[in-house]
Amino acid sequence: MPEPVTFLGRATALVGTHEASAIEMGARTLLKKRDRAAAEFPVMEEMRDRARAIRLHALSNLDRLLGHFADRAEEAGVNVHFAADAEEASATVARILEETGSRLVVKSKSMVSEEIELNEHLEASEIEVVETDLGEFIVQLAGDTPSHIIAPVLHMMRQDVGRLFEEKLGVAYTEDPTELNQIAREHLREKFLQADAGISGVNIAVAETGSVILVTNEGNGRLTTTAPRVHIALMGMERIVSRWEDAAVVLEVLARSATGQRLSVYTNVVTGPRREGEPDGPEQVHVVVIDNGRSEVLAGGTAEILACIRCGACLNACPVFRSVGGHAYGTVYSGPVGSVVTPGLHGMEPWWELPYASTLCGACEEVCPVRIQIPSMLLQLRAQAAEGGRLPGWLEKGMSRYTQTAVSPKKWARAKRWASLLSAPISSKGWIRHLPGPGRGWTDSRDLPRPAKESFTDWWRSNRGS
Amino acid sequence: MDRDVFLARVGRAAMTGLLPTSPEVSASLPELEPADLVGLFRDSLQKVDGVAHGPVSGHGAPVVVSGIASGHGCSTFMAWDDLPAPGVAAELTAEGLERVDHDIEESSRLQHQLGYVPLSLGVTGALAGLADSGSLVLSHGPGRPRMASLVPEVHVALLRVADLDRTLSMWAHNHPGAAAETANLVMVTGPSRTGDIEQQLNLGVHGPRHLHVVLVS
Ligand code: SF4
Repeated sequence: MPEPVTFLGRATALVGTHEASAIEMGARTLLKKRDRAAAEFPVMEEMRDRARAIRLHALSNLDRLLGHFADRAEEAGVNVHFAADAEEASATVARILEETGSRLVVKSKSMVSEEIELNEHLEASEIEVVETDLGEFIVQLAGDTPSHIIAPVLHMMRQDVGRLFEEKLGVAYTEDPTELNQIAREHLREKFLQADAGISGVNIAVAETGSVILVTNEGNGRLTTTAPRVHIALMGMERIVSRWEDAAVVLEVLARSATGQRLSVYTNVVTGPRREGEPDGPEQVHVVVIDNGRSEVLAGGTAEILACIRCGACLNACPVFRSVGGHAYGTVYSGPVGSVVTPGLHGMEPWWELPYASTLCGACEEVCPVRIQIPSMLLQLRAQAAEGGRLPGWLEKGMSRYTQTAVSPKKWARAKRWASLLSAPISSKGWIRHLPGPGRGWTDSRDLPRPAKESFTDWWRSNRGS
Repeated sequence: MDRDVFLARVGRAAMTGLLPTSPEVSASLPELEPADLVGLFRDSLQKVDGVAHGPVSGHGAPVVVSGIASGHGCSTFMAWDDLPAPGVAAELTAEGLERVDHDIEESSRLQHQLGYVPLSLGVTGALAGLADSGSLVLSHGPGRPRMASLVPEVHVALLRVADLDRTLSMWAHNHPGAAAETANLVMVTGPSRTGDIEQQLNLGVHGPRHLHVVLVS
């Protein structure tokens, strides 16, 4: 379980830092690429609709799909395990590693493994776990955490990486990304070819075929699932669609939304271990299907968030995320999606503040490939927090108009209409600098619906502390 | 956790949850304007830093492949057994490249894999090509090792023009059983790349640095 933090505390410490400006730059680049890729694909909007329908259909039939998936996967020779929570999931992985006598484990990027804190769990044993995604490898060497769901070291500059490699890998200092890349490649290639087991995530599974699909650009996902004898795939239980052609639709909108690519470099479809007569591939494939709070989310009012395909576009589009970066959110899932997912998975009590970490500008929903209605879910969570007597201190100060409006979806809808909130010039760049004092009440400023003609400063004067 | 208990809990949750209603997934995919698949494939491949050659005839293919190999100074290669053009491996051997065998005995797995470290060229076929993204569809199996498109510095794929389709979703729609027909189906779209350090493009981070596709008519 990640440590609860105050979002505001973290955010305040991050605003205006070198880390925050690196995030701002990186997220903007990614968003630009996404916008270009969406614009050049003539059927992007239809494909988004289709992806949404596919994902919602999968969620409403989730138990059936998971059952099919397990049957088909077992027929293909996969060992399917079901884990109710983080503890059980990690213990299952540890048991498989022990039973297969695995000592060296290579890992390709998996958010769910971070969610269940697998590395920490395995540290206790003698097993060496090596992250192989370049970004995750850097994060692991630095003892840091990822700052973006698809670009883990968005917060670091090349000089940071150069110094880190010099210190941890004993190589001469360089800040040339090509050389840094080469150093990592050589170091990790040896690990891949000697590893006993590979651990991966699952981007999407196919019920009809028992396949798990992993996408990477670097090829580490393929090496992880090809070179070692044992492949263990960790799968959040919602990561599934009915048919192979449904998966293809999801993969197309995923790549475009994440990095502006038409497809990721490697889309790797694994259906069981190496078959009779095959020259290479793993001898064993295990899939661990993980609940860890998801069935509670599915049973509640924010079930739709489980349709998420983890493209990261909503992070890149979010003015709050861009100003503070992923570390402010305190868990593996950051940005708008994280503000809905985290309270759902880990409980409202320590995380009730996250739904307030948003300007409700609507940019997340606009870019989301599966059109998840994030702002309305944030409102719902705020209402829940308010009912539980939870309101951030930075909002209590005279924010009565805000609290009444922002926690009631109906009033909010009305407010949105008259305040033309969505078209309000939310200047995403540097908006924090316009506020009096970096820490105080920075989020509330953008949170409030305001009449279109009123300038932000006027609004601020008349509302702040009144 | 027991599968039935796990799934029963999920089933109960799906029944009480408030998922937005959504139309059924329609039977047909959204349509794209028709395009020249060869031209489109070449353009798309170039956009992702791959290089297209040809179309050439089956007889012409071995020379093209050995030209690519010498251009990159390759000294060792691994090749799929059944390629869409005959004589490629023989031509490479004749040019002095050493062929690395691809069958792994379980008992010598480690030695064998370590032997792959200096591999410079991998030659594969392709089940299909996707013009919109410049992708190759690789279906692995007996005589078709996964490693050939993964560990070398240079990957050369031979693709029949007749196997070109438009997009992944269209190809999957036309081949609904494709995912289950092999233990490992891979779509390759350009050489291995990363943008992790300051969003700067770098090729060949874990997989091949160079990707060539030889179109065979
Ligand atoms: S919520 Fe939507 S935009 Fe955000 S990561 Fe998930 S799929 Fe992408």
